[in-house]
Amino acid sequence: MKYRREASLLILVAVLSLLATLFDGSFVRDNTLDILINSIPTMIISCGVMLVIITGEIDISVGSLLGLLAAILALLCSTVSPGLGIHPYLAIPIVLTIGTLIGLGTGCLVVYGRVPSIIATLGLLIALDGAQDWLMGGGDIKHFPQQLRNLGTGTKLPINLIFTILVVVATGLLCRKTALGRRIYAVGSNRSAARLAGISEAKIKLFVFALTGLLTAMAATLWVAKLGNVSTSTGAGLELKVVTCVVVGGIAIRGGRGRLLGVVLAVILITMIRTVLNFMDLGSEAVKWQRAIEGVMILVAVTSDHFSQRQQSGGSS
Amino acid sequence: MNRTPDPIITIESVSKSYGGVEALSEICVDILPGEVHGLCGENGAGKSTLIKCLTGVIPPETGKITVDGTPLRHGDIHAAELAGIAVIYQESTAFLDLDLVDNLFVGREIKKFGWLDRRAMEKRALAVMQRLDFTLDLHTPLREFSIAQRQMVEMARACLRDCRLLIMDEPTASLSSRETKTLLGLVTQLRAAGVSVLYVSHRLEEIFQLCDRVTVFRDGKLVATTPIEQLNRDQLIGQMVGREVDVLTRHKEHTERTDKIRAKITGLCSRGRFSKISFEVRSGEILGIGGLVGAGRSELARAIFGVDRYDDGEIQIDGITLKKGSIQSAIEAGIAMVPEDRQHQGLILPMSVSENLSLTILAELTKYRLLHHDREAERVQSLMQHLAVKAANAKMEAASLSGGNQQKVVLGKWLATKPKLLILDEPTRGVDVAAKAEIHRLIRDLTEAGMATLIMTSDLPELITLSDRIEVMCEGEIAGQLEGGTATEEQVMRLAFPRGEAQRT
Amino acid sequence: MKKFAYELFLLGLIGVVFAIAAILDPRFLSKNVQLELSSEIWELGLLTLGMTLVIITAGIDLSVGSAMGLCSVSLGLCMHANLPTWLCALACLVTGLTAGALNGSLVAFMKVHPLLVTLATYGMYRGFAEGLQSATTNAPVDASEGIKSLAAGTFPLVPLLFAALTVWTAILLGRTAAGRGLYAIGHNEEAARFSGIPIAKLKFWIYTYTGLLAGLAAISYSARRSATAEAGMVIELDVISAVVIGGTSIEGGRGRIAGTLLGVLLIHETRQFVDWYWQRSELTLIVIGTLLILAVLGHRFLFAQNPKTR
Repeated sequence: MKYRREASLLILVAVLSLLATLFDGSFVRDNTLDILINSIPTMIISCGVMLVIITGEIDISVGSLLGLLAAILALLCSTVSPGLGIHPYLAIPIVLTIGTLIGLGTGCLVVYGRVPSIIATLGLLIALDGAQDWLMGGGDIKHFPQQLRNLGTGTKLPINLIFTILVVVATGLLCRKTALGRRIYAVGSNRSAARLAGISEAKIKLFVFALTGLLTAMAATLWVAKLGNVSTSTGAGLELKVVTCVVVGGIAIRGGRGRLLGVVLAVILITMIRTVLNFMDLGSEAVKWQRAIEGVMILVAVTSDHFSQRQQSGGSS
Repeated sequence: MNRTPDPIITIESVSKSYGGVEALSEICVDILPGEVHGLCGENGAGKSTLIKCLTGVIPPETGKITVDGTPLRHGDIHAAELAGIAVIYQESTAFLDLDLVDNLFVGREIKKFGWLDRRAMEKRALAVMQRLDFTLDLHTPLREFSIAQRQMVEMARACLRDCRLLIMDEPTASLSSRETKTLLGLVTQLRAAGVSVLYVSHRLEEIFQLCDRVTVFRDGKLVATTPIEQLNRDQLIGQMVGREVDVLTRHKEHTERTDKIRAKITGLCSRGRFSKISFEVRSGEILGIGGLVGAGRSELARAIFGVDRYDDGEIQIDGITLKKGSIQSAIEAGIAMVPEDRQHQGLILPMSVSENLSLTILAELTKYRLLHHDREAERVQSLMQHLAVKAANAKMEAASLSGGNQQKVVLGKWLATKPKLLILDEPTRGVDVAAKAEIHRLIRDLTEAGMATLIMTSDLPELITLSDRIEVMCEGEIAGQLEGGTATEEQVMRLAFPRGEAQRT
Repeated sequence: MKKFAYELFLLGLIGVVFAIAAILDPRFLSKNVQLELSSEIWELGLLTLGMTLVIITAGIDLSVGSAMGLCSVSLGLCMHANLPTWLCALACLVTGLTAGALNGSLVAFMKVHPLLVTLATYGMYRGFAEGLQSATTNAPVDASEGIKSLAAGTFPLVPLLFAALTVWTAILLGRTAAGRGLYAIGHNEEAARFSGIPIAKLKFWIYTYTGLLAGLAAISYSARRSATAEAGMVIELDVISAVVIGGTSIEGGRGRIAGTLLGVLLIHETRQFVDWYWQRSELTLIVIGTLLILAVLGHRFLFAQNPKTR
């Protein structure tokens, strides 16, 4: 079945909602929006990282990158020292540009420097984390102009959510309806064949890394706008969450295979697990075991999936 | 003879060298419109390099290539494509994760307002399949197609590009005889439509069947371009190797058959792959397994060697029953296997010749659990001499050897284990004529020394001349037995085709 | 010496670090300072031994730090219960062994991609460590006198153990059939399988070995500081960096223990000097991240025998 993965993720989401509803009849009504809003940074960045993984590379620097970009935006916008108090509409484009350039730089390391992407982005993960701490100088940064906060909290409309939906739709269109999208899959599916078909592997990979940088910058902006606070730990660990979502969503780690729909569902599912665990209020014990429970669930997801795939293909090669 | 028409492609004194070694020197060839032009030569003769020059993958160093009188921009894939040069490569260039439509159009998609125009692409895909007379589902990922079907997709892709010259590099290497027939039919159809074909193959039968003229390369130099009717088989081989080699003649009658049964397979079944396979191989005997690709030969080989598990049945070596699906226990029992895919299964290309050769006998080379380097070097040296591996030294990377020498290394690493049963799956695929003869001789010598040999091959002359007995498989079952040496290709094929189809062919 | 060209290059880099230190503040090179700062190197070093084997097979283990945390907590629990020292240590090692064996069996027998397995267990082990700690002692446990004297006393048990294991691992890799098998797996797993290399068995054991080393590292860490779920936090980044800087290819098939040792030394000295001289830990991160990328670039362009192949 072609949409097997999407179906099983959907079933899991449904089961979780049902479980939560049993505890409280109004769970779905009260929390759907919250869950979606909480998933925003992961969702936006997953769109980019998904494309990177489809080309057969990986990007594990997005957490640190988000942290660094959030710090830069905070320093540019914050109205209190050491902030520069620049108008957000000027600061945001600057941050988006920096994000894209760093993504492009990562791409160059991978494409022209031929550094394996997991190592290149591991190096960046460490270095950008340092850069973030260095910029922040230790303390949190707060106090942002209202124009920026509006993006995150909105007045009536959840602007950030609408924006995220736009990003997801655009990524979907890119994958399905454009030549570029098909070429991204082609490069991941068979590099040498793609080259012979006249596709420039270098350009495609530069594009996906740069796009991931840009999307990370967008996510950073919405993050700062929503929370109104940037600390040295902002973004820490996000890269693993994103990669987990992409993989649970059915993108093959070796490239070439997988669909956006699965990733979107996986992001919602994984964000939901935490909300539901909190919500079910299983006592203070359960909260302590939250990460462990999440870990077990992810391990089961990843393993069972491989198991069923192996059964399907029956070992023939 | 009519007046010769103007050639569509002229290659004038093209040269190319890699690191001081001349891969092509001063090559001049012209290709006429609507001809099938054969290109022959041993491995390393420069055929692939010429193809790469023609398609713009690499630029030639000197000389020029003109298409219809216009010089082709060197080293430019797009320019070659625009000029109407298309290739079907030896290695698969399919995108297994993408569906048929994507495979046909990736790289030159049809767009409408910047978006993909799927409907138009589907329409054209159907049209081109109709022209080539086959039908496949448009939305199935290519992974689910057979190798032959994938090859058909590649031909369709070439046709879509309105090509003037289609280059086919060993297109039948992994096809069964029936599929080959379909493919050759397609080539004839293309020729009728005025497309020229540059046909590269080690299979001389195909060259004679298909080509109008044949160009032969040796060591990067042009030997000759000759109309096919002026050549016979021996002359062609002579041109390729520069000396007369009797490739596929049987040296002598079978060796004395001993009665010692080495390997006994009883009722082997594996769902969806093969069923009810039973046969015996005696010591000193070569048993050939023939059949179409997809008949289950490779799957059988893999099951015997313990690569895949099987559902039912038994494998015995010298009376001892083997554990299912365990390569280690198969090796312990004395089975060795030269697998189908030399580059991915047979050898570890980045490792040295020495490390490859000793990989199967590491246990023998250890003392107090430590590897004994001197003993390793000794063994490797004697193996290399025995097999006449042409390598500067044992420390060379296996990747740097020619195909034939690589295959000798694969053979050598298994001979080192002194196997009781040697399984060979397509042992001479992509190996040049001279190395092929050497490998055949080695197999014969070793078998005479008491080994039992099981050989799976699509190469009919090889199957018939090398085997003492032949089992022919069809759709996963054994369809019949033939005597080696006396069997004819026709007899093999008759058994190999599923019933009901044999009459039609 | 061509074979060890890259190792010489690393030695040169370490020399550069020492030279800079000598110019800026020669006290860094004194025996006392070096000894004082050396305490952390053993944990990093121990973990890199296993990681080198894992990466040579084209695998990866992201969970080492988390496993170390879990080991540390189990050690803490035992010490909290006033169990005898040897039992505490044993429990810690068994925890590590089990964590490694879980990774190993999923990778080797279930054939799940190691990145996915250890990504999942990375979160899981740390989660268990945190859960276990907060459900029981709810605070770090101070090392018992027994553990302290065992792993952080005057007798240099940890350094000696590290030295012994280094020699053992190097011999395993360079001089045994198993080692040759690991390289073969890293280069081409399919061909290794067809050559009869016991792939599943080897893979299982290297992940398990890595787990055991995490247990050892946890003892050393807990003896120096305290037994806590925080143990080994982000150490996996340093471990992987050290191995890769040491010349082991993340794509598998290439790498030596000698290189790894130099990688550890280089990272350690750089980190300690930057920390010690500028007192800014964030600067260290920038330096190490950059160093990692530069080392791989350097290996690609200065030492690759055949830069065309990738």
